[in-house]
Amino acid sequence: MIRTVITSVLIILLGWSAASWLTYDFQIWTDEDARRLEVALHPVEISPVQIEGPDLAETDLPTLLRQENVVTIADFIYTRCQAVCPSLGSIFQQIQTALLNDAGNERPRNVRLLSISFDRKHDDPPALRAYADNLSARPELWRFVRVLQAKQEQALLQQLGVVVIPDGRGDYEHNAALLVFDGAGRMVRVFDIEEHQLALDYARHLARKQIQETSL
Amino acid sequence: MNKCWQAVLGIGLLLFIATPGVRHAMEKSMWCHMLVQFPLWMGAAALLAGGMPARICKVIARWNMYGISGLLITGVTLAVLMIPRVLDQALLHPKMELAKLTALVLAGMALRLSWRPAGLILQFFFLGNMLPMMGVVGWLYTESPLRLCNAYLLDDQIQLGNWLIGLAAVIAIVWLSWITWRITYQETRQTSHREM
Repeated sequence: MIRTVITSVLIILLGWSAASWLTYDFQIWTDEDARRLEVALHPVEISPVQIEGPDLAETDLPTLLRQENVVTIADFIYTRCQAVCPSLGSIFQQIQTALLNDAGNERPRNVRLLSISFDRKHDDPPALRAYADNLSARPELWRFVRVLQAKQEQALLQQLGVVVIPDGRGDYEHNAALLVFDGAGRMVRVFDIEEHQLALDYARHLARKQIQETSL
Repeated sequence: MNKCWQAVLGIGLLLFIATPGVRHAMEKSMWCHMLVQFPLWMGAAALLAGGMPARICKVIARWNMYGISGLLITGVTLAVLMIPRVLDQALLHPKMELAKLTALVLAGMALRLSWRPAGLILQFFFLGNMLPMMGVVGWLYTESPLRLCNAYLLDDQIQLGNWLIGLAAVIAIVWLSWITWRITYQETRQTSHREM
């Protein structure tokens, strides 16, 4: 009997530690939450990815993000999207309005928006421009880009933990979220689309902090 | 079925479901991943365990009185594997996939070696824990407004939830009918013995 007791205790301990390892001490249950937690703990550097977009010469993503003191809120979209992207679009519109108002107040002016398309084949610069105009995006605040090479696109999605799956009705489903990048071009936080106010406040806070740090 | 055949069949089935093509096909949808792949791997492992030499079984039995350790292995494994993160991780990282499949094999073998020694009371205790857990997880999957796995669609998740609740109910009914049948059968046999 003692053998069985020992084995049973060991099994329970093993199962407990496996579960606690998987869930970061029972804080999270899904991979999406794990990704958000991991990003908050360890900012993610991204490798150079060639991008282009309306009013934007071919450049690479880290360079675009690494403009001095600029904090970027990014999302992933595709212009033919009927499901989640329109709501992402309207959230970005709201953030853009808030940013335009910031210019009048004493809030930091170095927060930018970036929509990255993962439908490389269809979303060429003219398509992106039409989409941007439709959302009345201001180019100085809100840019639209696509990745040029399929391989780099895959690598980028993987680095940022974005999973895109076809939904069987001709659309794509993806873990839509707001990704916040700091002035060094690192992804520092991931927010749910419901938490867009939080994402904006965090971006403003980070932007202010970056300005203070450089002025010191 | 004799031991040798069970082992051969178990190994054959394991080899077949381990091929990348079959594995990917079974992981295409969330409900298939959890309700076809999991039982198949456990079933194949159970067959394999059925073909184990008596000598090894005896040694294991010493560490597995009344099947307690074995049922614990199965219960703990299934509880851990029902965490939604496991499915996503298994799809993203081959190491996690290997760990998941190994755990399933262990759980299947443990269940086979422990079910009979456990007896009715421990079986009831085991199912009384596992089936409600399955039901609750299923209910969470159907009711969650969020996608719990990045790799699968919301519809798929709801389907899995419904199937999990259904399966828990079916297992409960099957086990209870089997118990009822066994008890009445034994009683009729005993009474007919007395009459003779």
